[in-house]
Amino acid sequence: MNRPARALSEQLWTCLCCHQLQRSPAGQHRSRCPRCGARVHGRIDGSLLLTWALTITGALLLIPANILPVMTVIYLGSGDPSTIIGGALELYHSGLWGIALIVFVASIAVPVMKLVGLVMLCLIVQWRLKVSPRQAMRVYRVVNGIGRWSLLDLFMISILVALVDMGAIAEVHAGAGSTAFATVVVVTMFAVRSFDPRLVWDAHESRLAENGEPGRA
Amino acid sequence: MQVSQQPQNEGGGQWLRACHQCDLLLTRALAPVGQKLQCPRCGATLHRNMDHSIVHTAALSISGLLLFIPTASLPLLEFSLFSFGAENTLMNGVFSLFSAGYYWLATLVLFCSVIAPLGKFLLLTFVCWGSGHRRLRWPVTTALRSYQHLQEWGMLDVYMLGVLVALVKMSDLGRMSVEPGFYCFAAMMVVASATTVAFDPEAVWARMAGLENRPQATGPQADPEQNNGAQG
Repeated sequence: MNRPARALSEQLWTCLCCHQLQRSPAGQHRSRCPRCGARVHGRIDGSLLLTWALTITGALLLIPANILPVMTVIYLGSGDPSTIIGGALELYHSGLWGIALIVFVASIAVPVMKLVGLVMLCLIVQWRLKVSPRQAMRVYRVVNGIGRWSLLDLFMISILVALVDMGAIAEVHAGAGSTAFATVVVVTMFAVRSFDPRLVWDAHESRLAENGEPGRA
Repeated sequence: MQVSQQPQNEGGGQWLRACHQCDLLLTRALAPVGQKLQCPRCGATLHRNMDHSIVHTAALSISGLLLFIPTASLPLLEFSLFSFGAENTLMNGVFSLFSAGYYWLATLVLFCSVIAPLGKFLLLTFVCWGSGHRRLRWPVTTALRSYQHLQEWGMLDVYMLGVLVALVKMSDLGRMSVEPGFYCFAAMMVVASATTVAFDPEAVWARMAGLENRPQATGPQADPEQNNGAQG
């Protein structure tokens, strides 16, 4: 049984900006899309390396983001700085478990899941793990879709800082952890952007070819 | 305008599209009107052919721009404690963070909640209008590319949830109330999502290709008529 045709082996490239299919220039590493003018490669240039670098940066930054306080609520002169986990727990203890769950998912579960997903995808490509590419694509789409929601906590802080500003009575300050957390979100968003999901299928193809299965590579 | 014509073939032979997520070659590039084209192998959505995409996008992005004016000028929330009160607008959270020295955080919040959504509306309005003019081909192309990059950074829906969490979180401390700006913001969020769904770049490309081919198209079309006349 013939395997389906792959654009790269037919010397065809797709523009990732406008999705125009085009013939790849002979012997050249990159070209410009004739329709939209974006830079076109067969695969995203240095995709795996860039994704690894950004993922590791994100994972390292997640430590200060969770240790340092993100916000301080001062009410009648007293108040402790709270971390991300502390903020979610505080909501849970005051009985607002629905909101606590939202905050927990957006600011703890999502960044961790995203980093784990990115490491999984990188390993699947690098070690050509025996994983169904469809499953890997599912991971990719989840990682791609959930990332933006972790900015929730930061938006909330920016709202509270402006809203609760009454000098000695009540005040909200941002903390150093919020800067680290913002960087985690941005870095992981760039990491997902730089990961080329077509590499998953390339790894799958080459694994099949090694096992001697017939078909076009 | 609907996408009816196939995109120009850049030497791909029988192939018209490759899936951008798994590189599978396909013999059709566009979905029929009102339907979407999915990759048969990995399931990625390749093209969603919305009916009257350009007209709807233009209408939605102009309403988004109009809604932006009250959203940015009216307060979203009001917090009062004893006899003190403070209001939150879309911008003053950014100003407070900026004056507290959190430049990076303030820039990020400003970018995701104001600049990116506003930029999306402006770019789409320009693209919808400019794609009908042949002289504006390159500015429109650049605008389309910028839109693709800006797209994932518009986070009005996330900001909305942030407003709601802030509303509940502080309600035991003082009195929180929702102000008119909040409803404008909610409307703008809905319009922004609708714009993203309605917009189909292929419709813009087809429209621009149609403009480009028009003088050439009249030539070949006129020829067979003359031939027929000569034969008859």
